[in-house]
Amino acid sequence: MKTKLSLIVLALASLALLVSGCAQGLMPSSWPGVTADAERAYVAAGPFVYAVNLNTGAEVWHFPEKASTANPFNAAPVLTVDGQLIVAGFNKVLSSLDPADGSLNWEFEGAHDRYYGSVLATESMIYAPNADYNLYALTLDGDLVWQFAAEQAIWAAPVSDGERVYFGALDRRVYALDAQTGALVWEQTLNSAILASLAFGPEGTLFVSTLNGSVFALDSRSGRTIWAQPFDAENQIWAAPVMFHDNLYIVDMAGLIYTLDPARGEESLPRLDADSAIVSAPLIANEVLVFGTEEGTMFIIDQAHNPQTVRLSGQLYGAPAVSGDLILFAPLETDDLLLAVTLEGIQRWGFSPED
Amino acid sequence: MWEAIVNFFTNTLIIIYQYTGQNFGVAIVLFTILIRLLTHPLMARQIKSTQKMQELQQSKEWGDIQKKYKDNREQLAQEQMKLYQKEGVSPFGSCLPTFVQLPIMFALYQSVMRALASSPMQLLILTRAVWTNGEMSNLIPLNSQFLWMNLGQPERIYIAGLGIPLLALIVAVTTFIQTKVTMPPPNPTNPPDQAAAMNSSMTMMMPLMMGYFALTFASGLAVYIIVGNLLSLVQYALLGRVYWSNLLPKSKRQEKSK
Repeated sequence: MKTKLSLIVLALASLALLVSGCAQGLMPSSWPGVTADAERAYVAAGPFVYAVNLNTGAEVWHFPEKASTANPFNAAPVLTVDGQLIVAGFNKVLSSLDPADGSLNWEFEGAHDRYYGSVLATESMIYAPNADYNLYALTLDGDLVWQFAAEQAIWAAPVSDGERVYFGALDRRVYALDAQTGALVWEQTLNSAILASLAFGPEGTLFVSTLNGSVFALDSRSGRTIWAQPFDAENQIWAAPVMFHDNLYIVDMAGLIYTLDPARGEESLPRLDADSAIVSAPLIANEVLVFGTEEGTMFIIDQAHNPQTVRLSGQLYGAPAVSGDLILFAPLETDDLLLAVTLEGIQRWGFSPED
Repeated sequence: MWEAIVNFFTNTLIIIYQYTGQNFGVAIVLFTILIRLLTHPLMARQIKSTQKMQELQQSKEWGDIQKKYKDNREQLAQEQMKLYQKEGVSPFGSCLPTFVQLPIMFALYQSVMRALASSPMQLLILTRAVWTNGEMSNLIPLNSQFLWMNLGQPERIYIAGLGIPLLALIVAVTTFIQTKVTMPPPNPTNPPDQAAAMNSSMTMMMPLMMGYFALTFASGLAVYIIVGNLLSLVQYALLGRVYWSNLLPKSKRQEKSK
């Protein structure tokens, strides 16, 4: 009887682990991020960051040497002006690598939580957003200069005009900090969480999209609202706003693409429909806007506002990258970790790492 | 089906959260009370069924069978089954509500994790699971702080750099008390049997198992277990089935019964 009881308890415990623990553990926490230079693409996808030869689609190196599935990389790697590749993952560590061979330059271990967003690298500084509510400012040698605590996690890369650093957080606030000292210049509370980066517009305007489908234009000098919600998206907004040919482009999770007049916030061109959720900001490449959709479509808008779709594969959650005539997507739910396609929809190669 | 249950729980939690001062800890407590109210008829049946079985196990007839067939386990089991049938007692009747509680606990755990959505993918799933999309966006991120704990993380209190799992200890203690005081004291004239041994094992295993869950999983689950244990005590007390004397040492208990 005792053996039976032990077996029952063991079975229940296993079931509990299976249902409660493993079910959560198997789900990816975010989506892969990609960036590129003239020679290589760098994709942060799961346990590794891979460097992939742009001509052949073959792996050049991966980092770290040993996989840790518990600490994946998802934030798109960032290249600095002095030739470093900054990668950040769930292991709370920010690493500087040599883009040529993946060797480690330095590490910053001061954060207490995961990195979901990419860093911003300026000419002299690195600004790293972390889920521990802090924005960390480092020198290009990885030394901490200052840190600033928001009220909630920061999931997206900040932007800077050289003098100040601006970012939004899940606490619904937009923060403007002195880029050198981290001192708070102003903060503005909006109506919902801010998941994406901000965008600069003409004359120091700062555009912010919030999760509940609103868009705001703020004066970057004072934080004053220039316009707020002259329009509401039909669904949530996860992607950052983008300025393209004097228009402000906003995308929502229903796949609708809105074109706004940046001065007044009113819709200036007819809406376009990508028919599938768009999670990340579009890429401006070769005079067109390129979006990835959840259903695996590359959606392109040209200068004349004409749409074009190209069916790829997987779920294209992350923002695409560009190098030459190649558009790079890091899809989920497909065999390839990285796809290289042309704007005409020709797939040059797909990269899937060897086991 | 499972997803539908988790989504239902998630939405219920968020609705309670929305209307109770946006405190997720309070939402879990109220949700637990709601679940207990809904499952009370089942629980009451279990308590009565357990009581009936335990009374049977304390009867002279049961004791006689134990003595008579102590060297023949197979025959003993058959005779016990006959006695169960004769008295109209189902030996599994008391297990059913426990098996109902476990999926609820697992679904609640996933709901808590889903509602707190601490990563982009979790948030994406959450925003698609909620019934009121627009209003929900205004609530995100949910406030995961409750008293001293972050409900989405396992709880520790740090004293001199040492992480003490206070909540896991409270879970283990309340589970122990709840298990111990709801079991009728054994009949001293009957020889110790398998059922008594099983009860004794349960008293030790359940607190350890629940304590382990609280130690490992998000503290929101521990809050659910603690509130659930306290409510169980209330339910048993309302039906007059709490034996506080079980908490006394054996010698004192025997003294008291004399």
